[in-house]
Amino acid sequence: MAMLSDSDRQTLIKHLEPISKKVDVLLFTQTFGGGESGLIAKQVADEVASLNDQVTVVEKNFVLDTDERAKYGVDKSPATVVLADGVDTRIRFYGANTGYEFVALVEAVLLAGTGNLELEPETLTALAAVDQPLHIQVFSTPT
Amino acid sequence: MAYANPNITADAIDAQEFMDLSRRYRITGVPKTIVNDRIEILGGLPEAEFIGLALQKPDAP
Repeated sequence: MAMLSDSDRQTLIKHLEPISKKVDVLLFTQTFGGGESGLIAKQVADEVASLNDQVTVVEKNFVLDTDERAKYGVDKSPATVVLADGVDTRIRFYGANTGYEFVALVEAVLLAGTGNLELEPETLTALAAVDQPLHIQVFSTPT
Repeated sequence: MAYANPNITADAIDAQEFMDLSRRYRITGVPKTIVNDRIEILGGLPEAEFIGLALQKPDAP
């Protein structure tokens, strides 16, 4: 079942039109002990992928695909990892990706597909100088 | 931020789904950002202010 209204869908299709690179949305879920959120995360990822031909959902099993989990540092499920032309963007989503996180996921896909960082020049300069691992965790709620 | 530098990883976490993490980081309001388990940023801030806090050195006050 579609989660978006027709008008929202058309708006998002237009929003994602600038995508020129292949974007993979890796989705780690688990059948047992994963709860309903994995199913919702899958629905959300499919909905985003349906908005642009360059976007593909790649399903991974959180329990069985341990090498992939280790490769992307995924330690909980459901998890969504965004790749740009097969390269890890180091952007992760943990949870069902509804509400505000849906918007954030759409923006992450747009960034991966275009490479356009909408940040101030001073910010980019400061970020370029980061020479140690920086792990940012942003907590939010769906509503 | 993560896209801009390979040293940076950014996780968006559903605070309701991952209650153990929410307890660990004392998430009582959202959005709340935790940087390297050390820096806490509550609420949405202007870009420059957020970056200034997130990139604080360990010996900063």
